[in-house]
Amino acid sequence: MTDLTREGIKATVGEEMVKVTVDGQEFEAPKGQMLIQAAQNHGTYIPRFCWHPRMRPVGMCRMCLVEMETPKGRVLITACTNPVADGMVIDTKSEVAKKAQEGVLEFLLINHPLDCPVCDRGGECPLQDHTIAYGPGESRFVEEKRHFEKPIKISDLVYLDRERCILCARCTRFSDEVSGDPLIEFLDRGNFTQINTFPDQPFASYFSGNTVQICPVGALTSKAYRFRARPWDLVSIESTCPHCTTGDRITVQASQNEVLRFLGVDAEATNWSWLSDKCRFGFEFIESPDRLTSPMIRQEDGSFTEATWTEALELVASRFTEIRDAGKGLAVLGGARGTNEDAYALAKFAREVLSTNNIDCQLDDGLDPQFLAATADRARISDLDSARTILVWGPDLKEEHPTLYLRVRHAVQEKGARLVLIHPWRNGLDDRATHKLTYRPGSGAALLTRLQSEEGEVATALAEGPLVALLGRTGYGEDGRLAEAVAAHVRSLGGKLLPLARRSNVYGALDMGLAPSLAPGRATTDNPGKNAAQILEGLAEGSILGLLMVGSDPVRDVPNGELARQALEQARFVVALDQFLTDSSRLADVVLPVEGFAEKEGSVTNVEGRVQKVNRVVPGPGQSRPDWSILDDLSDRMGRSINLVSAEAIAKEIATEVPAYVGVTWDMLDAEKDGVVVPLPEATQPLVYLPADTPGKSFSGELVLHYARTMFDDGVLMRHGPSLEHLAPGAVAILNFDDARRLGLSDGDQADIKTSQGSARLTVRIDPSMNHGLVYVPFNQPGIPSLGSDPVVTVTKA
Amino acid sequence: MSGLGAFLRGLRVTGKVMVNTVFGDGLVTTKYPQEFRQKPQRFHGRHVLNRYPDGMEKCIGCELCAGACPARCIYVRGRDNPSDEPVSPGERYGYVYEINMLRCIFCGLCVEACPTEAITMTHLFEISTANRRDAIYTRQELLMRPDGSVPHMFPDDPLAQLAELDTADGWLRATAPSGVAAYEGVQAWQGTPGPASWAPEPTQDERDA
Repeated sequence: MTDLTREGIKATVGEEMVKVTVDGQEFEAPKGQMLIQAAQNHGTYIPRFCWHPRMRPVGMCRMCLVEMETPKGRVLITACTNPVADGMVIDTKSEVAKKAQEGVLEFLLINHPLDCPVCDRGGECPLQDHTIAYGPGESRFVEEKRHFEKPIKISDLVYLDRERCILCARCTRFSDEVSGDPLIEFLDRGNFTQINTFPDQPFASYFSGNTVQICPVGALTSKAYRFRARPWDLVSIESTCPHCTTGDRITVQASQNEVLRFLGVDAEATNWSWLSDKCRFGFEFIESPDRLTSPMIRQEDGSFTEATWTEALELVASRFTEIRDAGKGLAVLGGARGTNEDAYALAKFAREVLSTNNIDCQLDDGLDPQFLAATADRARISDLDSARTILVWGPDLKEEHPTLYLRVRHAVQEKGARLVLIHPWRNGLDDRATHKLTYRPGSGAALLTRLQSEEGEVATALAEGPLVALLGRTGYGEDGRLAEAVAAHVRSLGGKLLPLARRSNVYGALDMGLAPSLAPGRATTDNPGKNAAQILEGLAEGSILGLLMVGSDPVRDVPNGELARQALEQARFVVALDQFLTDSSRLADVVLPVEGFAEKEGSVTNVEGRVQKVNRVVPGPGQSRPDWSILDDLSDRMGRSINLVSAEAIAKEIATEVPAYVGVTWDMLDAEKDGVVVPLPEATQPLVYLPADTPGKSFSGELVLHYARTMFDDGVLMRHGPSLEHLAPGAVAILNFDDARRLGLSDGDQADIKTSQGSARLTVRIDPSMNHGLVYVPFNQPGIPSLGSDPVVTVTKA
Repeated sequence: MSGLGAFLRGLRVTGKVMVNTVFGDGLVTTKYPQEFRQKPQRFHGRHVLNRYPDGMEKCIGCELCAGACPARCIYVRGRDNPSDEPVSPGERYGYVYEINMLRCIFCGLCVEACPTEAITMTHLFEISTANRRDAIYTRQELLMRPDGSVPHMFPDDPLAQLAELDTADGWLRATAPSGVAAYEGVQAWQGTPGPASWAPEPTQDERDA
């Protein structure tokens, strides 16, 4: 489809209201709104297959034919492509309209196989439902139906059955307009028109799962849900996605106490029903056979034996009490993947029972907790839609914040915002960027100084508001303080900002005080403790003896994994609260099984400070318990009870004790579909921005490492999901042709990549889009040691 | 007097049966379990999962029987049919199939819901068990053997009259391709996926004419 047609059909919904009559009912609708939407808002459902409220209309299926009165007589029009106009009189149930709808359905069913009993859509299929509600009942078509090879695998996650397809163009429009990966298209003409991918190009979109959800028939089905259940035996409970910080609303569907799929919910504030494949198919870990089911204690020889809760808790309590009373250091790492209630319990346990401020829920992510939790002028995600200029200077949104990527893409493409994109390399938003600046990691401060001082297109664009900035760390080679310096500049321009961090509930955990310098409610503590990097160093050199890890895997998850390994090996006593035996919890002395996502109730906080509910759908495996209950039990045994009785009671405590969260109760969250944005009292913003002239190291002549995350990696939750575990791109070192030639490397060679903190042998790939002097290595790929956060790198041929 | 006449007339049938029982061979009761009575053709006994003549299972694991069941006693799980060793024709097969006979009310709605005639009812009715677990019939117990016989829980039990199945209504329906016993030689479902190899079925009008 060309842009011309798109623009032609695109409607601009204005403020002006017009009077419309549908089936004798007169109402007012905003001028420019499509008739189908206006009628639906006023209670008249017009049948449709191709029309989707979040995509441009296309008029492919003709199901929405209705009768309109004109001076020349009554005519049939498609309700999805005709905007309302003043005085419009529509009849959706007239004989002619009914006959048209019946005819369209009879045509659609000509080639549709009646294999509903084996089709995953059977039971929740719009075509089935519409056939019963609007269909003719009997077909006059007795000839042979069109046949194609039954399902073809168009990607690792999605199957396509072209026999079932009714050519509504929902999937092609989604991948073209919404996700920006037009990898699925119409082929051939006339009766032979089919949907397919391009030869040798799989449907390898990060958002391919959405096409399965919006397909009005069972033409696109997902591998993960294929034949697992039928719609009528699913229990559906709404919850919030456990994978990224946007707080995507999802429906968790389970059957026989087994979580079988996630569906996106059309939440206006966050995900608009879209989910990335990591979110959509990242449910399989819940049912993984590798889940821990009983407490385990490590023996002398390094193996684990199962223990009772009493044995395990007594051991933990006595060893922690011993270390605490001897005045030696204790520390807590993790807690950013659970609920606010668990985070609150952990913060309380750490400060009151372990008597330590060495708490960090971020694993050396490099961003200041105050900047993330308590920054002033925090934007809402919806501000993107009204922005004139959007600045993205942070991680590749497509890789790390997929929902924000879609929202930024929509704002730029449909709302006409200008996008200033600053990133070391190729970025998912490149094709929509108005201005793209690339730079070498480590020289960001210098670039910022130039932006502040020089006149130029980019500076002019930024000065023109409203400005929304999405700021974070572009990669581990980047100075963590750069984002704050940029934030200071954005604020000086009057812009709003969203600080971007990783791990699903990191903002909630910070709000609950899981940071060395933050008390619950975004307040500063008087006596800040050590952060994750310092804790690991302390453990390695022996100044900290005991560690409590809560749902964290520092060995795989901090940039300097080797330091984390040393720390855990040196530590005198390590306890892990985890769902799996990870590379880190394998090194712990006691591992306690916990309930995870979909197994416990609670609230979580997203990137804009929106608090939403997560709900319990299935019971936890074996003897697993929620975090708060384990911590409460431990506190009793350590002689300083924190008195927690239930997650709901903790929620009530939060709603009275934690300043920003006062009054936010579960009842409120259950009632508000889109959750509640917690207020940001002016008094809790003691932010001091770093000067913009933070000296950036000069790396001229040397190679610099761009070490950043990809959507699929060797993370714990992905490693235990059969659909996602093979999707990690694998470790490669990507270089520019000139650099490769200078180093005597060619595509496919093995090379040793060495930094001051680690080294790895990787396959070299040559990419012409890579900047000179830059090496890109994806973070946390299977079987590859981490390279650390030092950007200076040497590459030698192996 | 007329009252007494009516009384005797009423006892006429009873008397006739009594005389026949005592002096003749007209027994009304059957010496169960030594003897069996022919059950009505549409008797609702325990279920059987049928096969196609080539041995393929008819069940496709669609769960429509479970959805139709008013007693919620059927549990089905489908799975991707292995293409190298297919269990049933088509993409999907019934991987788990369980019926809890304690809950079953033998209404036959599962048989009506089944799109492939995979589940039918037999004349087997001796399904009492000594524990609740045995009352849950699994796929292995329900599925007919490739030779057409039906596994019975107690195969040595003299009570199991497997030969009765030959005349059972459900049995006939399952082996006749179109579901009608007399409708011979008309193919309704083919053993392999893909385009049909036979002419389309006649329309309703043609059939009526």
